[in-house]
Amino acid sequence: MKAFANINPRDLKQAVSELQKPNAVAVGGGSDLLGMVKEHLVEPDVLVHLRGLRGFDQVSAKGEEVTIGGLITLDTLSREPMIRDRYKVLAEAAESVATPQIRNAGTLAGNVNQRPWCWYYRNGFPCFKNGGNRCFSITGENQFHAIFGGGPSFIVHPSDTAPALVALGAKFRIAGHSGERTIPAADFFALPKVNPARENVLAPGEVLVSIHLPKTAHSVRSTYHKVLDREAWTHAVVSAAVVLEMDQAVCNSARVVLGGVAPIPWRLPKVEAMLAGQRITEDVAAKAGEAAVEGANPLAKNGYKIPLTKAVVKRTLLSLA
Amino acid sequence: MKTLNTVGHPSSRIDALLRVTGKATYTGDLYVPGMLYARVLRSPHPHARIRSIDLSRAQALPGVKAILTHENCDVIWGSGDTRNKRYLFNNPVRFAGDAVAAVAAVDRHVAEDAIRLIQVDYETLPFVLDPEDALKPGAVEIQPGGNLSPNNRNERQPEVYKRGKIDDGFQAADRVFEDHYTSSHINNAQLEPRVAIAHWDGDHLTVYTPTQGISNCHTEMARDLKIPPEKVRIVCQFMGGGFGNKNQNHDFELMAAMLAKQAGVPVRLEFTRKEDFVSVHGRWPTKQYYKVGVRNDGTLTAIQLRGYSGMGPYRKSSGGIGGIEIYQCPHVERSVYPVYTNMAVSANLRAPDYPQSVFGLESLMDDIAYALQMDPLDFRLKNMTRKFNDQLAYTSIGLEECIRRGAEAMEWKKRFHAPGEGTGIVKRGVGMAMGSFFSNMGRSSAVIDVDSKGMYHVHVGVTDIGTAAKTTMALIAAEELGVPLENINVIWGDTDRCPYSVGESGSRTTTHTGHAVVEAAKDLKRQIAEKGMPQGNGMLTASVNTNPPIPPNVARYSFVAHFAEVEVDTGTGRVRVTKYVAAHDSGRVVNPLTATSQVKGGATMGIGMALHEQLLYDKASGTPLTAGYYHARVMTHLDTPEIEVHWIETEDPYGPFGAKTLGEPTIIPSVAAVANAIYNAIGKRVRDLPITRDKILGVLA
Amino acid sequence: MRKISRRRFFEGTGAGLVAASTVPLKGQPQTPVTPGVPRTTIQVTVNGTRRKIEVEDRWTLVEVLRDHLGLTGSKIGCDRGECGACTVLLDGKPVYSCSQLAVWADGRSVQTVEGLARGGQLDPLQQAFIEHDGPQCGFCTSGQLMSARALLNRNPHPTRDEIQHAMAGNICRCSNYNRYVESVLAAAGTLSASAGRKA
Repeated sequence: MKAFANINPRDLKQAVSELQKPNAVAVGGGSDLLGMVKEHLVEPDVLVHLRGLRGFDQVSAKGEEVTIGGLITLDTLSREPMIRDRYKVLAEAAESVATPQIRNAGTLAGNVNQRPWCWYYRNGFPCFKNGGNRCFSITGENQFHAIFGGGPSFIVHPSDTAPALVALGAKFRIAGHSGERTIPAADFFALPKVNPARENVLAPGEVLVSIHLPKTAHSVRSTYHKVLDREAWTHAVVSAAVVLEMDQAVCNSARVVLGGVAPIPWRLPKVEAMLAGQRITEDVAAKAGEAAVEGANPLAKNGYKIPLTKAVVKRTLLSLA
Repeated sequence: MKTLNTVGHPSSRIDALLRVTGKATYTGDLYVPGMLYARVLRSPHPHARIRSIDLSRAQALPGVKAILTHENCDVIWGSGDTRNKRYLFNNPVRFAGDAVAAVAAVDRHVAEDAIRLIQVDYETLPFVLDPEDALKPGAVEIQPGGNLSPNNRNERQPEVYKRGKIDDGFQAADRVFEDHYTSSHINNAQLEPRVAIAHWDGDHLTVYTPTQGISNCHTEMARDLKIPPEKVRIVCQFMGGGFGNKNQNHDFELMAAMLAKQAGVPVRLEFTRKEDFVSVHGRWPTKQYYKVGVRNDGTLTAIQLRGYSGMGPYRKSSGGIGGIEIYQCPHVERSVYPVYTNMAVSANLRAPDYPQSVFGLESLMDDIAYALQMDPLDFRLKNMTRKFNDQLAYTSIGLEECIRRGAEAMEWKKRFHAPGEGTGIVKRGVGMAMGSFFSNMGRSSAVIDVDSKGMYHVHVGVTDIGTAAKTTMALIAAEELGVPLENINVIWGDTDRCPYSVGESGSRTTTHTGHAVVEAAKDLKRQIAEKGMPQGNGMLTASVNTNPPIPPNVARYSFVAHFAEVEVDTGTGRVRVTKYVAAHDSGRVVNPLTATSQVKGGATMGIGMALHEQLLYDKASGTPLTAGYYHARVMTHLDTPEIEVHWIETEDPYGPFGAKTLGEPTIIPSVAAVANAIYNAIGKRVRDLPITRDKILGVLA
Repeated sequence: MRKISRRRFFEGTGAGLVAASTVPLKGQPQTPVTPGVPRTTIQVTVNGTRRKIEVEDRWTLVEVLRDHLGLTGSKIGCDRGECGACTVLLDGKPVYSCSQLAVWADGRSVQTVEGLARGGQLDPLQQAFIEHDGPQCGFCTSGQLMSARALLNRNPHPTRDEIQHAMAGNICRCSNYNRYVESVLAAAGTLSASAGRKA
């Protein structure tokens, strides 16, 4: 590996300050980052190791909101009783990531900020993500690439927790050199047409410090359904994060967000509108599945994601009915 | 079958304790004082001429001690190509991953930094990835003389096998079926990545390396370095798998030796996992075109195969497409074209000629059975081989029993139905396939000493790649000597202490080396009878070299039949194997515990090959995209069903106690069994491996 | 089933062990210091013993364990967190030690396969792996053991499904998965009588 210095900042202020240094990167669990350093996809001089920061790895409830420290491991998050109980979609999403070993190290913030797993990017092709000016998947092997929102890059966002957080209406608190800001999760992720080199609006030197979830009513049902490419240990081929606010058997409101289909967590407002005030029947769920793929733009080799998405949306809804 | 004392009883591996305590020393666990670490620089291009190499920045890096390129190293790796000269560093480079330079430095990080400082000026050349494309006029010539690799008689002709007259066969048929199939390049993906430590002591070379056969590695290192064999020692005490890619010697061992020579100190050369995926070898991708004639009653009259195997740019192995021999058929014609391409090299991976070939053949036979409205089980019972190539008697054949016992265990009659039958979204289906694997005898040696304490020391040239070879040799020795297993000590993995063995290759260790152990034990017993047991520090030694012939009028084969039940989710394309039965005739099973593990392992590898694995290439750049365990989708715990194993032990007059080949037959029918089960479930056929979700959704659309 | 006593194991394989160690030595080599590369002194408790060692910031935990602390039981299969051969317990939880920097283990505790046997007694998992033929080539075995140990620490009587989930991050290319699950069930005392110790 390239030589670098590891710094363990004692507090957030120091962490943000260290991140202003040239070629400094933040690291939480480090699994994904180390792999990228070994592959020379990133060449940092300084690693700012956030794991030691105290107080950023807890779940706490304060009034209406639940606050999750960005440095909580995916394993801890998935086992947290309050999350399992009231924000099941997030617990299931965290639990679906990779393997136990990765979940024991990987953090929520790290998962949200994860770089794409497109094989062109990871193999060092000079694409948009690697500082180049093209996307090789367009005319190449695009089996796992985007059917929505693609262009000029066609990666899919690799995170499982991201669609869950968007479905929950989470807010992200970001700390940087010029202070802190809080933005809705949905606004954190950015389409490639904004900047094909990046997947989100986190500026260099900024840290995703905490995630805030609105209080949920007991009538909320939620789940995360992930389709993998073997039975374990892959990113989502297609996934669905669904949060339904129910009034007995009737769905008052829905939030439906897909993973594995777009460069950002892909919200389905048309489907959400269709579900409002409806019972989730076989017929309603099937129609929702059909609506979910309207406007999809498949590439040469990922057209199968269309029937797959229909099935995933339909089944996920029915599982909550 | 007579019950024996030691052989045939389930026995733990004699080295299991070392493996479970972390005390087993694999090559990467060894340190030689003063050793350097080495890494290899590789071509990013699939085909390119090297105009120049600038080493100056690498040489200037502190800690760099030796560098090799084609400019200062002209060692030819003889086993790397059986038809052409393959140097350690070739110019032109012929595949993305072909070696360009090797650097030895004080630690691996410096070595890695150094290779990145080497500047290579490439002139890229046209490249071709597909074997049929490589044979078209105008395709770039990858090796002098053309892209069809010469056959065993050095002719630019395909490898051909014929019996009868194929046109007569089609004439005699009521119906003729044609179809074609493709299979992908798969990596061996053994857990232990390549690593070698080379150490010169004057003009004597010791190489610590994970090899499947120390004896052949030894001979070939001496040959390629042009030094006398007695000046070479190969050591492998433990190694972490190979499945055929650690046979013979390898370029990394030669590079380590040459770097050590240049630097004057020992060198440890390490491969990354990606290098192991791309720059060693994997199973050859194939394109198979079949034409088969049958009578209306299901009798086969003709089988014709035209096949193309993509060998990569260096001809390391046969490129064979086998499997037809499992069928009885008067007229057969098989033409196989091993073709050079600019992809990763193809060579041996567990039953090299078979699972991909049996996938094609058995898919078609299944389709034929269905078309004739015959149960595929009955079709196979009708047409299965009775004599090898319809000519030679088998020394033993339990194929029918394998099929019947396996079918019964699978509850075939209960689970079988018309293809695609059923209205649910999730559909179940069953499929089967059969196969055979040669079990010839051959050359090997064994030395057994006995000391005055009654301990028998068995010296054999095995390394135990996971097959439990050491344990097998111990069981065989104990049986023949008539002593408890506790009295046996096996000495392995060191050419200074062990005689010749072909090693673990072609599943030959038990049959070849086991036979030598039997003969050595017999000899030792004679000596003991003559001279009595040794006293004090005395030893008696029996040293034998064997090469027992099998008469030319018989054929010795192992037989297998696998049965799979799958569940296909037609909404998502997901395939799960819900039940799997493997029935094997390997003659007498020496160690049922470890043998059963072998079958479970081979069958599981086959499921992965059927559903997931391929080394996928970007066509535009000719570079691989799925090197590494994650992208290659290697089978995990959650992918693996319970594999049920049934042994049909036939009596065979040859081999140690009648043992036949075992390790490789385990994967032969598994891909086809799964593919046929998928067809039975959904009524649609995928003819292209791997059968991934997108292809299933594609045929269902 | 033919059992082989521990004593016989060691005597029986003694010759093999000697052959392996005549020239190559396990243990700490003298690594020259590369100038300009940031280094840190860390304290890690490894298998119950506190170790103090100066490391390069870029050295991974598995590299330090193997190359500098003489604990070669943890293996490197891919060095990318994609195979599990390097699994160790970090503060009791299984992680890929190839994907942890050694400096991140400062002040923490690590358990490796060498730390499983206590007071000359094998861990029940190790015994079960021997009896149920867990290792084929053995290269993934250390990692499988550590994941299984972490599981049994948390859940002493797991189901087959729980075992497969807990060990999903450990690849075995010999594909001996059936045997590993059988071994863990046996170690947990929950292997059914009908499955038993069959060949």
